[in-house]
This record gives sequence, structure tokens and C-alpha cells, in this order.
Amino acid sequence: MSGIRQICGKELARVFYDKKMLFSVFVLPVVIMIAVMSLVNTLGRKQEEDVESHRAVLCLENAPDGFEELLKSSGISYTIKPFSDEGEVQTMLLEGEADLWIAFPEAFAQMVQEYRQGDAVPQIKTYYNPSEDYSREAYNTISTGFLELYRQRLLAERVDDMAGLTVFTVNSDNPEMMIQDDAKAGGKLMGMMLPYFVTILLFAGAMGIGTDMVAGEKERGTMASLLVSPIPRSAIVLGKVFALMIISGISSVIYVAAMVVFMPQMLGGSSEELGISLVLSPSQIGMLAALLVAIAFLYSAIIVLVSVFAKTVKEAGSYITPVYMLVLVLGITTMFTNGTPKEWYYIIPIYNTSLALQGILTQEVTGGQFILTLGVTLVLGAAMVIGIAKAFESEKVMAI
Amino acid sequence: MIEIRDLTKVYKLNKKQMKESRTTNPRKTAVDHLSLTARPGEIYGLLGPNGAGKTTTLRCISTIIRPTQGEIYVSGHEVQKEPEKVREKIGFLTGDIKLDPQFSVDYMFEFFGRLHQIPEEKLRARKEELFTYFGIKDFAHKKMKELSTGMGQKAAIAVCLAHDPDIIIFDEPTNGLDVITARSVTDYLKKLRTEGKLVIISTHIMSEAEKICDRIGIVIGGHKVMEGRLDEILQETGSEDLEDAFFELYRQTQGEE
Repeated sequence: MSGIRQICGKELARVFYDKKMLFSVFVLPVVIMIAVMSLVNTLGRKQEEDVESHRAVLCLENAPDGFEELLKSSGISYTIKPFSDEGEVQTMLLEGEADLWIAFPEAFAQMVQEYRQGDAVPQIKTYYNPSEDYSREAYNTISTGFLELYRQRLLAERVDDMAGLTVFTVNSDNPEMMIQDDAKAGGKLMGMMLPYFVTILLFAGAMGIGTDMVAGEKERGTMASLLVSPIPRSAIVLGKVFALMIISGISSVIYVAAMVVFMPQMLGGSSEELGISLVLSPSQIGMLAALLVAIAFLYSAIIVLVSVFAKTVKEAGSYITPVYMLVLVLGITTMFTNGTPKEWYYIIPIYNTSLALQGILTQEVTGGQFILTLGVTLVLGAAMVIGIAKAFESEKVMAI
Repeated sequence: MIEIRDLTKVYKLNKKQMKESRTTNPRKTAVDHLSLTARPGEIYGLLGPNGAGKTTTLRCISTIIRPTQGEIYVSGHEVQKEPEKVREKIGFLTGDIKLDPQFSVDYMFEFFGRLHQIPEEKLRARKEELFTYFGIKDFAHKKMKELSTGMGQKAAIAVCLAHDPDIIIFDEPTNGLDVITARSVTDYLKKLRTEGKLVIISTHIMSEAEKICDRIGIVIGGHKVMEGRLDEILQETGSEDLEDAFFELYRQTQGEE
């Protein structure tokens, strides 16, 4: 036990006594994550605001009397470009100088007014350029929004009883239409996101340090000094795996805490507005903690196992990348799967943890499924630790 | 005491190594049926050219690699059966074994002392003694990577002796050191001998072997071709100094091959 504690202590000291390391492991990723998310959000919002505040440039062809007044009264901000000929308007749309071209048929007002059953229904044609943001926005607000209002208005002039034409409405006065358990709904969203973050943060956070702990020691020639000390190889392995677990655990707690604290800045809204408020019961917290500790143990064991077979940190990095991708795929598959998972899914390592994490948050996981997941994860982690200890015995693998 | 009985170490070569060694044989015998006994209170020197099997022998003694055949007893413990007990008894140092560059000499000394479960008080006393002897005190707080080669080697020696081992195994102890540092290291090895410790070293430097070794085992091509005190070797080979004796033995071995 003392050997495990000493090795673990040294590996932790390597990170915690080194200010640069401390900064690069715990602070920098958080700063980068918050900065990137905030930047993406700010830029996105700016672009949205820019599009919304833009005065739509319209070309009206044969517009009936009163159309412009109605447009003005609807609050849509726009400017009119005089219509010359079709070719010129098309060029203006292509070059982004005009946003929407509304072509009424000639004598539109007369056609509407003198309509008799069996007459051709007049058609308003609108043209826009979907690759231009301003044009697309003008099309959405005017062509699909405002023109519908205009149609309703003309229709009201034609018939006395609009209600008779409506037949029925859907949810026009039903504010309580959504019936859901808020805790479960919050859990559903978090359950989708959590396995993804756990995979990214726990595994990616441990990757760099883990490869350095084993392959780095071999490369620097410092591993042999540990191998001639009077502690069992298994103590060296466990000391390193536990240290890696602690480091990746702390880093993921910091990342998650930073994400919760800075969520409003990153996503531009409070967690209540974003619908991710979550209240957890003590038993849920306990189950989550047990699973996270187990998966951190398995991930650390995977990283150390892969690193043992590499001679250099660089080599370990290239071995670990495909493993990371596999873990990533297994970890985030739950984001895209619906329906009740089959029982045997809970014996697939990593995937079962994602399922169980999701299940705990949505309160759908059974005790059996939870125990099975925890058991599979711990047994596999322990098997890997035994494998690593065996590899430590091999002079070929250790390259000494 | 170290007792080696019929030690053989065979390495399996991969294709790349076979190509580098210009051989078609996938097996390379580094040590071939070597036996020796080294006793407390003596400095035993394994003398031989590069690739003779000296380092492999020392690595087998220190449990880093496993013998293919034969047995090695260190203070009565067999290296393959009780490797941890063996490692408790020895201090092993080679140029290839380095200390973590980002930790200070102080930290490394205490870390290895604790791995050997040395009580804190004894560890402090050992540190005072060794750091004073090797003149490490002034740079003990510095990180290993900030030290020069000589300072680093001195620190590594002090760390490897932290637990006051009965048996000290040094692979090329003065390799890469300046004359002054080399002298302080060889003087310390003599001091250890007077304290009754067993010191076993490997070297290819004849003058070093002549000056400090009580008994010398000459190893060529994995075989121990001669063993004895300096005067015995000189007498048996009819040579005036160790270098002549070595070349005489080398010539004989090459002739046999």
C-alpha cells in the first residue's frame, strides 16, 4: 500500500508542483473552452442581430394600392428599389443589392375584387436568393409571413364570416399544452450531454498526462529507477492509474463546474431559459459518483495499458488516438439512440456507462442495470491493471 | 553475498536487430554459463570490452531482466523467486538509469527513501551524510534537469544509496565524469568497502579496475575467461599490467574462436 501511495503521490506532485503543468491541465482548457464558446455565441448573435436589424431591400412589381401602406404598418423595416425590368432585378438579387422581388400580376386588385367562382386565382410570385442571409430573412418575414396576413385581410373583405372558413384552430389558446416532469425533462437533456462530456473530459484530460506517466518515463530513462525499487510492479501500476484517475477526475470536475458557472456567457441565456435546470436526489448523486469513479478508473487503465507498449510519448500518442476515437464513438452513441435499451447493451463496456448515466438522470435505470454496468467497468479496469502489471514484468515491453 | 551459478542470458532479436547485427541467427547469447561469487567487504570488478555481457550480468543481478538459465542469489534470495527481497538489499546505478528531471534532488532522495520504507529520522541522517560527502547540499533544491552531468551523477549516486544498501551494483561508475568527480566516486566505493559492503562494478577502464577492485572477473564474449586478484591474473598470464593481461586473454579467446 505504501508503494502505491508513494508512486501516486509522486505523479500528483509532478502535476501539482509544476505551475506550467497546473495551468495547462486545469486552467487553459477551461479558458479556451469558455473563450471559444463565448466567441462562437457572440459572433452568432451579432450575425443574427445584424440580419434582424437590416432594412430589407424590396422590388415591387405591379404592387396594388394600399400594399405599401399595409407593409409599413406591419412594422417591417424595408426600403423600395424601383422596378425596372426582370433582368436587372435578377442581377440585383444575385449581387445582394436587392433582397426580395415581389411580382404581382397586372391588375391584381381588380382580379381579386371581381373574382367569381371558376376564375383563375391570381398568383403573387416572390423571388429571393437563399445564399444571401438578408434575402433569406426577407423571404421568411415577408413572403411566408406578411403575405399570409395580406391574404387573410383580402379574404376578410370577401367573406362576412371568417370563423366559418377557419373550421378549427390548434392550440390558439392553450398555455398548458406541455405536460411533463421538469426534473425528468432536465435529466433528458443532461443525459444526452453528460456521456459526451464525460468521454471528452475524462479521457482527453487524462490522455496527455497518462502517456507521459509511462511512455515518458521510459523515454527519459527514469522508469528503470522505479523498477529496481523494492515494491511490486503492481504497486507502480496502481499508483500511476490512481494518480491519473485523480487528475482526470479533478480536471473534469473543474470543467463541469466552469461550464455550469459560465453557461450563461457561453450560450447567451441562464440555465433555466435553456431548459437544463436539474435537481438530483442524493441516491442519483451517489450512483453518478460511483459510475464516474469506475469509468475514470477504466479510462486511466486503458491509457496506461496503451502507453506501456510505446517507447516514446509520441508513439503513445499515435497509439492512443484510434482508441480515443473508439471510446468517443461508444461514449456518444447514446446521444443518437432512442427507445428502451436492451438488457444486453449493459455488458458493452463504455457504452453501458453512457446508457446508465443517461438512465440515472432520466430515472429510468434499474438497480440490476446499474450494478451490471458498474461491475463490467470495474472488472474490465482490474483486468487491464493485471495486464499492465504483466507488461511491466516483460523486459521486452519495458525496453530496458 | 552475490552468488551467480551458471548464468546464461539469451536475447531474441527481431528482424531489424538481426539486420543491424548482420546476423541471420534470431538468438543472441549475451552471457554464456557465467558463474561467480562476490563477498561482503570487497569490490568485485567485471572487466571486459563493450558487448561482453557485463551490463547484462549486472541487470540480471538487480532483477531488471530475467536470466534465461542459471540462478543468482543475492544475500540468500534468488532473483527470480524473491525479486522484491533482492531489490531491498541492493543499490543499483547505471548511466542509463536517470532520475526524474523535473524533481529536485531533495525530493528524489526522499521519494526513493520512502519507497524503501526508511524511517524519516534515518532518512534525514542519511541525506545529511551523503549530501555532505558528495557536496550536494548547495544544489539539493535544484531540479535534476538544471544540474550538470557531474552534479547529476553525484545526485543519482546519493539517491541510490539513500537506503544504505548492503550490496552496491554500479555499471560503469565513472563513465562520463570529470577526473575530480570520478575520484570522489571511487573514493566513496572504497569507503563502502571498509564499511563491509559488497560493491560490484563493471568497467572497461583498466586503470580503474587495477586501482579499486579487490578481485576482477574478465568477461569476453559472454564468458568469464579469468577471475582473481590483480597479482594472480598478472602471474597467470605472465603480463606486467592488466591491459597486457587483458589483451593476452583476448588474443587467446579470439584464437579459439
